Amino acid sequence: MTTMTSAPPTRAATKDDHPVAHAAVARRRRKVEGIYYAFLLPSLILFTLAITVPAVIGIFFSFTNSIGFGDWEFVGLINYVAMFSDPAILQSYLFTFGFAAVTVVIVNVLAFLLAVGLTSRIKLKTGLRAVFVIPMVVSGIIIAYVFNFLFSNSLPIFGQQVGIGWLSESILANPDLAWTAIVLVTAWQAIPGTLLIYIAGLLSIPGDVYEAADIDGAAKRQQLLRITLPLVAGYVVINVILGFKNFLNAYDVIVGLTNGGPGTATRSIPMTIVTGFTGGDYAYQMANAAMFFVIVVVVSVVQLRLTRGRNEL
Amino acid sequence: MLRSHRGGLVVAALAGLLAVSTTLSGCTAAGGRQEVRFYLSKPEAIPYFNELIAEYNSTHDDVRVTLDSSSNLQAGFLRGNPPDLGLLNYNMEMARFMERGALSDLSDMPEADRILPEVQDLVDQYATYPGRTSVLPYSVMAASVIYNKQIFEEQGLEVPETYDELIDVCDALTEAGITPFYATFKDPWTVAQGWFDYTVGGEVDVADFFAQLNELGTEVGPTSPVSFEKTFSEPVDRMQQLIGDYSNLDAASKGYGDGNLAFAKGEAAMYLQGPWAFGEIAKTDPDLDLGTFPLPMTDDPEDLEVRVNIDLAAWIPEASQSKEAAREFLSYLFQKDVMDAYNAAQLGYGTTTDSAPVTDERILGMKEYYDRADFYQGPSKAIPLTIPTENYMQAIALGGQADDTLRTLDADWARLALRQ
Repeated sequence: MTTMTSAPPTRAATKDDHPVAHAAVARRRRKVEGIYYAFLLPSLILFTLAITVPAVIGIFFSFTNSIGFGDWEFVGLINYVAMFSDPAILQSYLFTFGFAAVTVVIVNVLAFLLAVGLTSRIKLKTGLRAVFVIPMVVSGIIIAYVFNFLFSNSLPIFGQQVGIGWLSESILANPDLAWTAIVLVTAWQAIPGTLLIYIAGLLSIPGDVYEAADIDGAAKRQQLLRITLPLVAGYVVINVILGFKNFLNAYDVIVGLTNGGPGTATRSIPMTIVTGFTGGDYAYQMANAAMFFVIVVVVSVVQLRLTRGRNEL
Repeated sequence: MLRSHRGGLVVAALAGLLAVSTTLSGCTAAGGRQEVRFYLSKPEAIPYFNELIAEYNSTHDDVRVTLDSSSNLQAGFLRGNPPDLGLLNYNMEMARFMERGALSDLSDMPEADRILPEVQDLVDQYATYPGRTSVLPYSVMAASVIYNKQIFEEQGLEVPETYDELIDVCDALTEAGITPFYATFKDPWTVAQGWFDYTVGGEVDVADFFAQLNELGTEVGPTSPVSFEKTFSEPVDRMQQLIGDYSNLDAASKGYGDGNLAFAKGEAAMYLQGPWAFGEIAKTDPDLDLGTFPLPMTDDPEDLEVRVNIDLAAWIPEASQSKEAAREFLSYLFQKDVMDAYNAAQLGYGTTTDSAPVTDERILGMKEYYDRADFYQGPSKAIPLTIPTENYMQAIALGGQADDTLRTLDADWARLALRQ
């Protein structure tokens, strides 16, 4: 690649001297690039048509009073102004970011510990790995409905028999506790994917590093903190950024568990945005979506910047 | 500069979409017979109308009616390719299509003259389009308190007609160890449909309230003459009282399905649901003796009213390519015996001056009120979906601050008025 990009000045200088050689270089160069572009083209077309164009149209309509069809006119920034004074939207931001922050910590701590356990010398390693990955293959909405049943029926019966007050009623019906149920189910579903990435990371650490540490007399705990953790730092960054982004988009699990309730205690930003389509508030929720997009980009960039130093092994 | 560039992109993209949609709609007119795409989304009604369509197609050589029960209406209208005839639930969301002139005028059809004026009025409560009758009601669902006749008889109780009588009935039931109301707060819609709509509708003139609220627009708030906080405060307080004193303790963890099962097993005497629940209850106990009565919220029996909704209404879009054929099929559907058979099977009330009276024991209790037009459309249905009314009501039912929530509703209403 480096020789390719430094080619043009040389080519200009030798243009008249070696026309044949120049033509050969140019042909080879064009050929290689063409193939790469061909690889990119299908994704580029699909991405543009299915994501970029609709996004731009959506942002355009956020400056109008459109309800999704029929006549509309420009209303300037009214939707954005109204948004910032809307407690429903502000509350959904608060809930979503709080939920994502808590979940991302829980998921990464648990997945990392599990990965350490599953890559050490234990019995039934393969079988256990399969067990822990099963939640990944079940769709979110199905998981949510199964847990919904457990929370609404099985757990309260258990709570009543043991005599625990707060457990004898469905925690999904408790505005102060419903979010914990959502964190729990989301974590249960998200841990396998995170776990797999950590396992890959742990397996990529060469064994001789540990051998050297053993010879130097490092305890297991020291090895974990001083060797394992720094060497998988890149994987932690990936998991945290991807996880946080995914949890901000929380939708199906919440719909299946609480549907935003009780009251509006667990309404996430994507759920609020979807009401714009069903409720004839298209332009307004497009403004919300545009805002959400900007915030997610900013958060991701900040996360990348903060962790850049540890991004490479 | 940036904006105009984006605008250009959008125009180009929209033009592309339009080009595609016109070629698509061109296809439907091709072939020897004219196509009428008939949109019907109510699952229970599909077998009945499928039979009608088959019969119609076999007797008409020039027209072919096809059933569409799955396409997205909003997208259809957006692309200029809506169904040719719609027969579905009429509510705020459908009203938006009519308000923006997307539905054609049907006032010249003889069927329009047969519709009961007070039922046609229900359509106008959501929205109107000047000079047009764009929507013809086909079937109305009336809903009120469902009660277990056997329990009432065993306890020697009469159907209550005033709020005090209702409290007496509830006290008597509680004393006998029977739960008066079975509530299912896990499903927010059941709170809005039953508890909220019945208590508010029993006391407030719903249509008039929303007419005033629409007029006020951004003015709605603590100082406006009517507001959710001011007007709904009393009925919502009573709703909380009935819930707190007389409903099952585990209501917060119970959903609609649980409610039907429990009520069918006789676990409570009253159930705030609509006639759609009868079929579900019958799955558990087909012989249960059930009746209905309007929830009394005042001390005057004259104030009793039942909650109604337009379960099915017909319309023909302006953008339809085969309006004439669609109108002919509409006339076919609006024949007296076709309508009567449908309403009898689905426990609906007729919408025309000549429709047969209802006979089913379970909904007979609402007949006198329906005949007198003592009915209202649910207040929860008159608030745009973008405001999470059902969730708000769920919060109140679970013991939240009613006044705070109603004030939030006022603020939401004013904000919506500002931007639309």
